[in-house]
Amino acid sequence: MQNLDRSHTSKPVLVVGGGLGGIRTALDLAEADKNVVLVDTAHNIGGLMTQLDRTFPTNNCDLCTLAPNLSESNRQEHIKLMAMTRVEAVSGEKGNFKVSLKTEPRYINLDKCTGCGECLKAFPECVTFTPGLDHRAPTCMRYPQATPQAYSIDLTRCGDVEALVKCCPTGAINPDDLGSRGDVACSSIVLAPGASLFDPSGLDYLGYSDHVDVVTSLEYERLLSASGPTSGRLLRPSTGEPPKRVAWIQCIGSRGLQRGAAPYCSGACCMFALKEAMVSKERFREDIETTIFYMDMRTFGKDYERYYQRAKNEFGVRFIHSRPHSVLMNEASGGIVLGYTTDDTPKLLSEAFDMVVLSIGFRIGDEMRSLATMLGIDVNDSSFPVHPGLNQVETTRPGIYVAGAFEAPKDIPETMVQASAAACMAGKDVIPLEKEIEEAPALPLERNVVGEQPRVGVFICDCGENIGSVIDVEKLAERVSVFEHVAVAMAAGHGCSRESMEQIRQTIEEQEINRVVIGGCSPRTHEAKFQDLIRKAGLNKYLLEFANIRDQVTWVHSHQPEKAMAKAEDLLKMAVGAVCKAHPLAEHSLPINKNVLVIGGGVAGMTASLELADQGFRVYLVEQSNRLGGIAANLKRTLEGHDVQAFVHNLIERTQSHDSIEVIMGGMIVDHTGMPGMFTTGMQVGRQMFYRQIEHGVTILATGALPNRPNLFGLGTGKQIVTQLDLQTTIHDDPEKVRSWENVVMIQCVGSRTEDNPNCSRICCQNAVKNALHLLDVNPDVRIFVLYRDMRTYAFQEEYYQKARERGVIFVRYQQDQPPQVKLVGDHVEVTYRDIILGRDVKVTADCLCLSTGLIANEDSNEEMARIFKLPRSEDGYFLEDHIKLRPVDLPVPGFFVAGTAHAPKLISESLVQARAVASRAQTILARDAINLGAATAKVDGKLCAACLICVRACPFNVPFINADGYSEIDPAKCHGCGICAAECPAKAIQLMQFEDDMIISKLEQLFEKVEA
Amino acid sequence: MKEQFEPVIVAFCCHYCAYTAADMAGSQRLVYPPNVKIIRVPCSGKVDSIHILKAFEKGADGVYVAGCLDGDCHFKNGNDKASRKVAQMMRYLEEIGIEPERLEMVKMSAGMGERFARIATEMTEKIRKLGPSPIKAAAA
Amino acid sequence: MITAERKPLEEILAYIKPFKRILLLGCNECVTVCAAGGRKEVGVLASGLQMSRLKDGSSIDIREHTLERQCDPEYVEELVPMIDSADAVLSMACGCGVQQLAMRFRDKPVFPAVNTKFMGGSDRHGVWTERCQGCGDCLLGLTGGICPIAKCAKHLMNGPCGGSAGGVCEIGDDVDCAWHLIWERLKALGLTDQYMEIMPAKDWRPAGGGGPRKIIREDLAE
Repeated sequence: MQNLDRSHTSKPVLVVGGGLGGIRTALDLAEADKNVVLVDTAHNIGGLMTQLDRTFPTNNCDLCTLAPNLSESNRQEHIKLMAMTRVEAVSGEKGNFKVSLKTEPRYINLDKCTGCGECLKAFPECVTFTPGLDHRAPTCMRYPQATPQAYSIDLTRCGDVEALVKCCPTGAINPDDLGSRGDVACSSIVLAPGASLFDPSGLDYLGYSDHVDVVTSLEYERLLSASGPTSGRLLRPSTGEPPKRVAWIQCIGSRGLQRGAAPYCSGACCMFALKEAMVSKERFREDIETTIFYMDMRTFGKDYERYYQRAKNEFGVRFIHSRPHSVLMNEASGGIVLGYTTDDTPKLLSEAFDMVVLSIGFRIGDEMRSLATMLGIDVNDSSFPVHPGLNQVETTRPGIYVAGAFEAPKDIPETMVQASAAACMAGKDVIPLEKEIEEAPALPLERNVVGEQPRVGVFICDCGENIGSVIDVEKLAERVSVFEHVAVAMAAGHGCSRESMEQIRQTIEEQEINRVVIGGCSPRTHEAKFQDLIRKAGLNKYLLEFANIRDQVTWVHSHQPEKAMAKAEDLLKMAVGAVCKAHPLAEHSLPINKNVLVIGGGVAGMTASLELADQGFRVYLVEQSNRLGGIAANLKRTLEGHDVQAFVHNLIERTQSHDSIEVIMGGMIVDHTGMPGMFTTGMQVGRQMFYRQIEHGVTILATGALPNRPNLFGLGTGKQIVTQLDLQTTIHDDPEKVRSWENVVMIQCVGSRTEDNPNCSRICCQNAVKNALHLLDVNPDVRIFVLYRDMRTYAFQEEYYQKARERGVIFVRYQQDQPPQVKLVGDHVEVTYRDIILGRDVKVTADCLCLSTGLIANEDSNEEMARIFKLPRSEDGYFLEDHIKLRPVDLPVPGFFVAGTAHAPKLISESLVQARAVASRAQTILARDAINLGAATAKVDGKLCAACLICVRACPFNVPFINADGYSEIDPAKCHGCGICAAECPAKAIQLMQFEDDMIISKLEQLFEKVEA
Repeated sequence: MKEQFEPVIVAFCCHYCAYTAADMAGSQRLVYPPNVKIIRVPCSGKVDSIHILKAFEKGADGVYVAGCLDGDCHFKNGNDKASRKVAQMMRYLEEIGIEPERLEMVKMSAGMGERFARIATEMTEKIRKLGPSPIKAAAA
Repeated sequence: MITAERKPLEEILAYIKPFKRILLLGCNECVTVCAAGGRKEVGVLASGLQMSRLKDGSSIDIREHTLERQCDPEYVEELVPMIDSADAVLSMACGCGVQQLAMRFRDKPVFPAVNTKFMGGSDRHGVWTERCQGCGDCLLGLTGGICPIAKCAKHLMNGPCGGSAGGVCEIGDDVDCAWHLIWERLKALGLTDQYMEIMPAKDWRPAGGGGPRKIIREDLAE
């Protein structure tokens, strides 16, 4: 066991689980300058997401979005990553835990393994692979960017251990590896182990065990995936032909529907099925028919309803509201026959399909159950950890936090938000010690190479057999050494090994090399490493070029060694040509102002303020109105029974009395300038509207949303027609009135999921259930009708929905095109609705009609904010996050974050999670002293610029503008570095640093030099 | 027998998708002809018409620009801009008297190592059939 | 701004056929803004010309240069040191620039590489439309800011002709009827009375009918 004692610094946070959530928590903590031990039982981190083909709602491929996260994770100096490791015991308490860890033997020394794959070639049977649909995945690395980038060995399958050890070119295989055990002291623990998936093989009527063409949703995902067993060609397992008709069956193992099913809703499966159906449609268009059999389509997330509508209207996915009762094999055709009924016909229907996909839900597996038991945290009936208050990421044991699907079923964005929130909580338990002045390795001054003749050093890796077995690296170096400007060309063995790096550094210094070319692997993975190296040798980082002679030469042309050699030579020549034109570039960096501006004094704004103030940052909380608390101040209790009033009062008191928080009431933002880390925002305050400016490093938007009050179903025409918000107040304040009621009707989706407001308001279904149950508590005899389109009681809310049904609440579906009719009759209100199953109208005379009106974006205030801060908004007026999946609380303008209902409608507990998530994300910026903005930005030569506006119009991010001097200016702090402006500029006045035109042209010239000769 | 014509093909690959796909083809050890030489750019939208022309002028037999799949561009729409630029340059090549088929726009995601290898193979075959570029042929 | 579009390569090649050394000139004004003849298009054309020659087994010596503004004599002076090493000059500026060069370098053949199109503005990225024909007697004040001379194929002065239907001109579905636009705009401005006034026949002399036009600012001209 390596030394984990970091007594000279503060104790680390232990993060259990290296899926997307665990990685996010670890990265947030590390970026906030806290140490992390990240353990995962798997061979490589990445969790479930690495197995997905594409993700909703963008239908993007994951690999490209996740991979940078992982390698970033690998490079963080604050993170110690321990794969194949489990927690065995925990003792101690918050701030001072002792955790026993056990690491399984990998039989491979991670420091030596380069991921070359020689062992796999020689002994495919004992190099472990990932189980999936395939019986033989190409490598044991789940995907090519795996972290750690290393294989693992299954020794029990190996017949000749000695030969196996010998086959490794770096001597990384160690058959005597016994694994290790050790204790680690830590401040707090974050549990993000994810959840398992329901196994449908026990449900014989679904035919999962009998028909190969009946697959789970994850298996279907693997069939679609480019890195899956069929390389992304969707084929029927039985015939190997593309399927023509595919059906999805929802809610398998969820909502208490089948034998052994869990009582809760798994939350993510509806979107998952929609995505799979849409991707199938995208790929095969008219050649495939997709049908989803569903109970309620639960597309309650941000903009998810639009996604559902697109699936239905644009992609032609067919939706059938039914739960098929049987999945049978048609012996004659080899196809599958689904038996089902629908609402509008009494007949039994049957339909043939080529493939059936079971949308399986999340489940807490045995391993996680025992983890919870061992940690001594309380769990609910379904074995998910319970949180004592409204804070979802807390457990019943102080100092232990949860995030992701282990907390409750959820999708990726919500997992990411919780992961950041857990980082915020866990980070608070780290007791900062006196920061000892660390001996940072002093970097030599950068040599000024401008004006010097290029003296290029070319270092060519053999990467063991990877390059060396195909081409003779020594000979290649010899050929390269005669190129113009090349001062040194040498073979560098494993260039990235410590010894080689040291040798390269010395050579650069001794030979006065002023530009460097590395011939080896991909710059994607190793550029940063060699940039650091040449910087240590006194050169500017950007005087470096890579020739990718491994991934793009020897690995792919091993059958033609001579041509491979010639190509490697060409690539090196191109790299030399380009590096001669390279300029030393300055990375842009800015000092950080550590104050925080929080806009909006609702629960999200106050919570974010408190979390950051507790960490010692100065917070300015600006509230437009004259009171704190937002919408939550009007709420009485949550579905689960928490007292919201007491909670909000406590929050207001703590906010107002905190030394580091200044609350500015009646503040209206009017202007804003600056860059991330040094913003200045102006506001008018109070009745006198006096002007005040605040300087701050980050901005948090928690401006909330508004309760919707549309003129629908007679709202506002009589006091017996109310909203859910009104109703909960009446139940609370005037129980006598409620006791006199006989009938109450609730209508769902009022002003939501309509043409005017296409999205789902998310909170209304649980609101209806909450108020219905509360009504029954007060008046057990009242009859309650809930007219709904889809009941969207996700996760554990489902259990309350079931309870409401058991207690006699009548739930009736209505169709959007046949809405209930409402008529005021005296003190009552007459509601007529179409009962789909009976096929006739039903009339109810109600004492109260309660409309579920949900939330809408605060159009005026959001529009103003968006204009002042230059932030994009979604179509329905909410702020649009930077990346819907992976950066759900970061806004596209660096240094801006969003929390609460300003992002989208959500519950109080969900707003609190986001508030803590933004507090964590903000700390990743505030912990630094300066922000590095990189160097690959576009630069305008004002003398050449014709102010034609083409760059202004072409930039995808609206960065260039024509400045007061009359030429285009590009703010390096905002430039994303794509280079589109440089390519379109008709005056050739713009260059993208690091990819300048003369470098590209030089590559071409070098490549074709011999052709011309 | 006459020696087989070996075309030189330049592929401008965007960092986020096509270049990663090329690396992916490598890690999957897919085999494709060595005729394709990759020039890495941050985004396919960075490829300038002049880069494409200079490649042909210097002696390339074929050129392709490889970007992200539709809707997946890391810079929103750089790949669309690249597609339009390539279409424009194909018309220009025709004017010059060079077969426009020698230039192509392709799209792939970072995970599509196989697609990268297939396109490299197909492009090489196509250009081999077309023979040396008129510029190279005239110089020979 | 003045807009232009590159001539077909074939035509340009025909002009420069006899010559070995070409000075290819861009202009950093209007033709840069309309992406027809700035530094970049100069590069694109140079490469295209070079390849056209290379494929015939010959080559050409092209020197690329872009002036701040080709229609001003001072900027053109900048070319003096390089003019002798060229057999001919190819200009990507508008007709004004080409003539400026021809006037300055009397013994040097000068050819246009673009067709000068019209005075216009940009509707959006990559789209330019005609707005003005320089008639010398602006009447936009009477027509709601929409020019019936530039935007009506017949230059009608008193309302649309019979070819206007549903706001579209008979010459093509993508051509709006200028007089329809004028009517709509005047209506929106509450100035329909203005429409009813008959405009007298237009005097085309200031539009060039009186010979080449000239402006002299007495206070500036020496």
